[in-house]
Amino acid sequence: MFRFYLAVARTTFRRQVIYRWANLAGLITNIFFGSIFSYVIIALYHVRPLVSGYSVLDTLRYTWLIQSMIMVVTQFSWVELMLTIRTGDVVSDLSKPCDFCWYWFSRELGRALYFLIYRGIPTYIAGALIFGLGVPGSWHSWLAWGLVLPLSALLGIAYRFLYNIAAFWLIEARSLTSLAGVIPLLFSGSYIPIPLLPLWLRNLISWLPFNGFLNLPVQAVLGKLTGGVLWFESGIQLGWLVILVCLARTLTRAATGRVVVQGG
Amino acid sequence: MFNAFAHDLSLYGRLVLMQIRAQAQYKLNLTLDIFCSFAITVLEFIAMLLFFVAFPNVLGWNIGEVALLTSIMSFCFGLAEMAGAGIENFAETIRHGEFDRVLLRPVNVVIQVVGSDFRLRRLGRMFQGLLGFGVALYLLPGLQWTIGKFLALALGIASGMLIFIAILFLGATICFWTIETTELINSLYYGARTMLSYPMTIYDRGLQGFFLFVVPVAFGSYLPTCYILGKTLPFDLPRGLVFASPFAACAFALIAGLIWSFGVRHYQSSGS
Amino acid sequence: MNAMIEADSLNKTFRIAKRRVGMLGGLRSVVNPEIRTVEAVNDLSLHVGQGEMIGLVGPNGAGKSTTIKMLTGILVPTSGTIRVAGLVPTLQRRQLAAHIGAVFGQRTQLWWDLPLIDSLHLLRHLYRVSQERYRHNLQRLSKLLDLDEFLDTPVRQLSLGQRMRGDLAAALLHDPELLYLDEPTIGLDVVAKARIREFLLAMNAEQGTTVLLTTHDMDDIETLCPRMIIIDHGRKLYDGTVSSIRERFGGERTLMVVLNDAEYAEPTYDAKGLPRLQDLPNGVHVVKAEGPRLWLSFKDSKLPSYELVAWLGARYRLRDVAFQEPEIEDTIRRIYEEGLLLSDRINK
Repeated sequence: MFRFYLAVARTTFRRQVIYRWANLAGLITNIFFGSIFSYVIIALYHVRPLVSGYSVLDTLRYTWLIQSMIMVVTQFSWVELMLTIRTGDVVSDLSKPCDFCWYWFSRELGRALYFLIYRGIPTYIAGALIFGLGVPGSWHSWLAWGLVLPLSALLGIAYRFLYNIAAFWLIEARSLTSLAGVIPLLFSGSYIPIPLLPLWLRNLISWLPFNGFLNLPVQAVLGKLTGGVLWFESGIQLGWLVILVCLARTLTRAATGRVVVQGG
Repeated sequence: MFNAFAHDLSLYGRLVLMQIRAQAQYKLNLTLDIFCSFAITVLEFIAMLLFFVAFPNVLGWNIGEVALLTSIMSFCFGLAEMAGAGIENFAETIRHGEFDRVLLRPVNVVIQVVGSDFRLRRLGRMFQGLLGFGVALYLLPGLQWTIGKFLALALGIASGMLIFIAILFLGATICFWTIETTELINSLYYGARTMLSYPMTIYDRGLQGFFLFVVPVAFGSYLPTCYILGKTLPFDLPRGLVFASPFAACAFALIAGLIWSFGVRHYQSSGS
Repeated sequence: MNAMIEADSLNKTFRIAKRRVGMLGGLRSVVNPEIRTVEAVNDLSLHVGQGEMIGLVGPNGAGKSTTIKMLTGILVPTSGTIRVAGLVPTLQRRQLAAHIGAVFGQRTQLWWDLPLIDSLHLLRHLYRVSQERYRHNLQRLSKLLDLDEFLDTPVRQLSLGQRMRGDLAAALLHDPELLYLDEPTIGLDVVAKARIREFLLAMNAEQGTTVLLTTHDMDDIETLCPRMIIIDHGRKLYDGTVSSIRERFGGERTLMVVLNDAEYAEPTYDAKGLPRLQDLPNGVHVVKAEGPRLWLSFKDSKLPSYELVAWLGARYRLRDVAFQEPEIEDTIRRIYEEGLLLSDRINK
């Protein structure tokens, strides 16, 4: 069965590779917005050289790392599952002999890996070249990142799975899904680097599921989170992952039940 | 000829009214859409405000001043997004071969394209602009208003709207050759909005010049804001330049219009 | 009769850039494109008088749509001259548009989400039809096309036949002198087709509307168009009546006959496995058989159809008889492949 999920992931990966131009366009967009953001950061730092232990270089690296990983974890316009619900195709998916949740998770993991390689790496390299960022962290921070990132990806997948499957019960949910897709961006460091926020807000955010999306892996690889704090926040991330996955499975069961009752 | 122009304008009004009626049919959906669009843009605004907790100002602009700049840009952009929705659909129009029908009608082509859609849900961003404006005024208690400043604001917003719509037309013109590179103009469209939501002085001189003299989006938000706040302009330009915004907008729109006509002629000689 | 359409020596050549495969291919196509030229329309001349009803026929890709697009100003000809209603389409597009109505079978010009009446109302303003004329036309068209039952229904909820009637009303609302119809009866059932044909004949008779109709349905042509133009590979091959084409090139017709079981004893079979009928008249042969159901092909010129039926009726009791005409597409293909009209062109 595991082989099946692996094949599913590989298929999505391969399918994404075909969209070269779209990816290039998306890459240019990522680099563009990363650059705009960098200008803002540089201008802001004229007034104060250090914030929460983050220098301007740290924050620039933070920004570019976020831009690199955004597509790996969150795809704010992802509505594939919702579309299959709308068209009714989901019914045949639900009656397949594989697990519905793991099926979608595998699909998205394949895509996440694609975006890591074809979007993430080029984005950071571009930022590094334009703004002279260099390579952050040390081997243990990269190790930490390697352990945390897959969990972040899964967290992001579970989250979008949830707001997509809500379409079973909500009829016209397009704009709500857009809103749902944007919320993590605010609370995970995409709109504003989390370290730049006031302490009380940072503490609050560290308890939210969104912290584990992007903020956690980025801070880990920058080496800003180490030791006890790192374990603690990873623990919260894992906890949220468990909760979201359980919620996803519960909703899937409910949806399957509803389908059976309505007759597809 | 003036008769035809007047007819086209009244027709545009009708087309827009029809769109509004069609969308207003689904009241719940529309309200939800406007609310979500408002919420998303408000989140962006809040993020911008939060920057100022850590940093007291950005190159001499404090929180109230940046809020003013951002909200003026939001309102102006929202206006363009709402009215220019038909132009955004142009790739689809070409793909479905519906441009032929446009050519078959005794109406100006531009009016038909712009009038083909009017997205009420973009009011969300405009509301955010208004809210932001209110917040900015609250954060700038010492700001004095004069008739000149109101005029500058009005002219700026109208000009900015025209410029953004012209940018959309440039994007639509590309569709006559290929419908696969619309992303590029999107970057200019959304990129200009994002960039000009912050004081232009944070960018290098080349970019500043670009947004003043090539794609004069700065006339829509930065120049009015500087006039209202009494800030100096780049390249030592006179603050009163804001009153020339309509000219800058018209010049840019004219150039975009010429390129568009070139595109239409290309379509007529090579089909779809 | 005044001329409605005067098109002379129209040529339309498309230059198509070949798209290259692969990532760099996209870039290479922009910098160094491989271009091939396609002659969509080749030296085509067309003269249509006011009030005529003409059928434009030809295989897919023959150049029919391209020709119509040039006549309406959508496309600019590579060379040649056109005047429609005295106007030059590419120079006076807007003026001409006020004199033309067009219905494209596959695509509607009506607004999808709104009731039909709203679309018509909007078109009234688009075409600057006066209040009085609009009311009069709407009444007349509603009666002729039976629109009242669905005037208030959103267009997306209409059946194909209803939508087509709506599109016809929309196209004729402003009293155009010239009406282009591109496959107007495609996908419709027999009743709907008949209704639309009746309507078009009425429009032509009452209003003198000139009609140019593109279709694959020969019944459309035979019912509506006294004059038919065949186009293939961008060239005009024929301009005349349907019957004379059929007479000249109709080729073999097929008669399907079902013989009475009792009399139709086990026949002998020939080399091809087809039953052999005794004493079949000259030029008649069995092309297919399914038990007592036989298909006989014969040349109308050699043996009139009624004689064949009489001959069969004399020998067998016939339970069913039906004629099958050759598809006009086959006829046209034969015309082109065998150059059947080539001598005509040379002589012209």
